[in-house]
Amino acid sequence: MEKDYILQVKNLETRFKIGKKTVHAVNDVSFNLRRGTTLGVVGESGCGKSVTALSIMQLLPKAAHIEGGQVLYTPSPEQTLNLTDFKRNSKELRSIRGKDIAMIFQDSLSSLDPVYSIGWQIMENLRMHEKLSKKEAKEKIIRMLGELGIPSPEDRFKSYPFEFSGGMKQRVMIAIGMICNPNILIADEPTTALDVTIQAQILALIKQMQQEHGTSVILITHNMGIVAEICDEVAVMYMGRVVEFGSLLQIFENPHHPYTKALLKSVPVLGMGKDTELESIEGTTPDASTVFKGCEFEPRCPFAMKKCTEEHPMVCEIEEGHEVRCWLYEEKCKDDRR
Amino acid sequence: MLKYFFRRLLSFIPKILIITILIFIGLEFVPGDPISYLIPPEQMAFMTEETIANMRENLGLNDPAYIRYFKWLGNILKGDMGYSLINGVKISDIIWTRLPATIELTALGFAVATILGLLFGFISALKRNTPIDYSLTALGMVGVSIPEFFFGLSAIVVFGLTFRWLPPGGRMTPGQPGFFQRIPYLVMPVLVIGISYTATLMRYTRGSMLDTMNKDYVKAARSKGLSETRVNLVHSFRNAIIPVMIIIVNRIPILIAGTVVIESVFNYPGMGKLILESISGSDMPVVMIATFFIALAVLIASFLVDLLSALLDPRIRFGKM
Ligand SMILES: Nc1ncnc2c1ncn2[C@@H]1O[C@H](COP(=O)(O)OP(=O)(O)OP(=O)(O)O)[C@@H](O)[C@H]1O
Ligand SMILES: [Mg+2]
Repeated sequence: MEKDYILQVKNLETRFKIGKKTVHAVNDVSFNLRRGTTLGVVGESGCGKSVTALSIMQLLPKAAHIEGGQVLYTPSPEQTLNLTDFKRNSKELRSIRGKDIAMIFQDSLSSLDPVYSIGWQIMENLRMHEKLSKKEAKEKIIRMLGELGIPSPEDRFKSYPFEFSGGMKQRVMIAIGMICNPNILIADEPTTALDVTIQAQILALIKQMQQEHGTSVILITHNMGIVAEICDEVAVMYMGRVVEFGSLLQIFENPHHPYTKALLKSVPVLGMGKDTELESIEGTTPDASTVFKGCEFEPRCPFAMKKCTEEHPMVCEIEEGHEVRCWLYEEKCKDDRR
Repeated sequence: MLKYFFRRLLSFIPKILIITILIFIGLEFVPGDPISYLIPPEQMAFMTEETIANMRENLGLNDPAYIRYFKWLGNILKGDMGYSLINGVKISDIIWTRLPATIELTALGFAVATILGLLFGFISALKRNTPIDYSLTALGMVGVSIPEFFFGLSAIVVFGLTFRWLPPGGRMTPGQPGFFQRIPYLVMPVLVIGISYTATLMRYTRGSMLDTMNKDYVKAARSKGLSETRVNLVHSFRNAIIPVMIIIVNRIPILIAGTVVIESVFNYPGMGKLILESISGSDMPVVMIATFFIALAVLIASFLVDLLSALLDPRIRFGKM
């Protein structure tokens, strides 16, 4: 069923060169995004979620580069492109950015250029990719702003970012992302900067957009509650690696990796019993530039064995579509993939 | 925008008044009799003590200072600025021959230096940590640390005297007063007057560019699929020049003050040279009036740059900053 995937990330490696030091921000990351579904990427701060997302369209900072792996984008059954084949700001990649794949950034409240009106900024994306007259474009944008619940969109079209509240700015960011009707929307913590009531509205909007336009969504968050609410599949990341990948049910009902288990215990999940206690994960995340011989989670893992310090665990598919990177499940592997 | 314009225009008036008061006080302290620059000297030669005393009364020189100030201000507005102590020429006539020369020099110098400073800063930031960036930075250091008159003298020796590519000084060849005929005379002073300004501007533009290039909205612009040229110009550079405008406003007085030295070095007959000549001739009334015009020029230039800042930044325009 390979063809069902609109985006496949395979063994992605992204490195930062800072002076003489190399930071392995993303290591051997693989996951698949099924057409029309939502994939949640979770993990604690600094585990490489944003860098993974930025690697997809090569929007990385200058100090970072992709060392290996593939990003396979399949817009139609007949066509598959490997995005890592393209140069950083190449024409091919630029024609995909904003049109096929749109991104809402983690710091989205500062993602609007302060000197241009919001209408102008949405227009910039739209007219970059679609041949529309100014008038048609404007009408389309005003309709989109209306759909996203921005009051009196005709007047707001000419407003500048500083005239908007955080929640409204985030709606504008969604408008920029969705205006070309992209196949994939990557939303990097789209709600962290907003207060709780606005968070729910924004998530509802993303979901609504997805249903109306059939968009596939990658949602990055460290909020397991959000994942439980709107994701179909989940990738759990720890220190630059995907340690567990599976459907929502597989991850929440049958978590295997000790880190996933700990993560699920450490965050409140909707519908969780009142008397269930929240646990925090023992220990702290090591520095990102540390190079491990064995498993990165070993120092904090309650089930660590001798082998864990010696060798990187390999990925095991323990069930159809459910993968774990942990030595505990060595024998349960359905087949040795590597 | 119109509201902003008028607000700035209003704040302009007290500044001008303060300058005129300072100039008036300066004139008050000029040694010698004010009457000596208020009436033509050739007339004064035929006057008796008595007529002069009468004149003094008629001219209101015995009135209290504030009344004399307003009379003086009225005269200035009418274009009557008194007479030079040295040659008895009307000061207004002197100013009208010298001022255009200086405006030409400084306006061109300002324009060229601003364009070069912004351009070099932009390139330097885009090519940061490359040989291009390093050489521009090194040149910038030289530009700010060596005084302009040295560049001026060197340029005269090299291009004016050794190679004879350009006239070593002056403003025009006699009988050829057209602007295009004057250009050879303008090249060296125009380039030299803005050297340290260019260097300063370059450094600030580079820093500001490096700052905006890392901004989230630039990354977001790139994610729309825009070309790098567009991202760099329309988003990074456009935002980078906003803080640089402050540097420009602050440097305008320094640039204009530079005319005193540069005009003398290039023997260029403008206000700067006039001030220097008048100081050495103790012609204080001329010094004061010339200073007044220079201060006025600084104010007007800053006002225009302020307006430009507002055009560039909606937050200023709407009074949010
Ligand atoms: N601009 C950068 N320069 C150097 N290193 C970086 C940079 N951005 C990220 N990194 C490195 O990459 C690692 C992963 O960072 P990333 O931003 O992807 O984390 P994240 O999972 O998105 O965290 P958060 O939840 O805080 O957003 C970090 O630990 C850091 O060491
Ligand atoms: Mg992040």
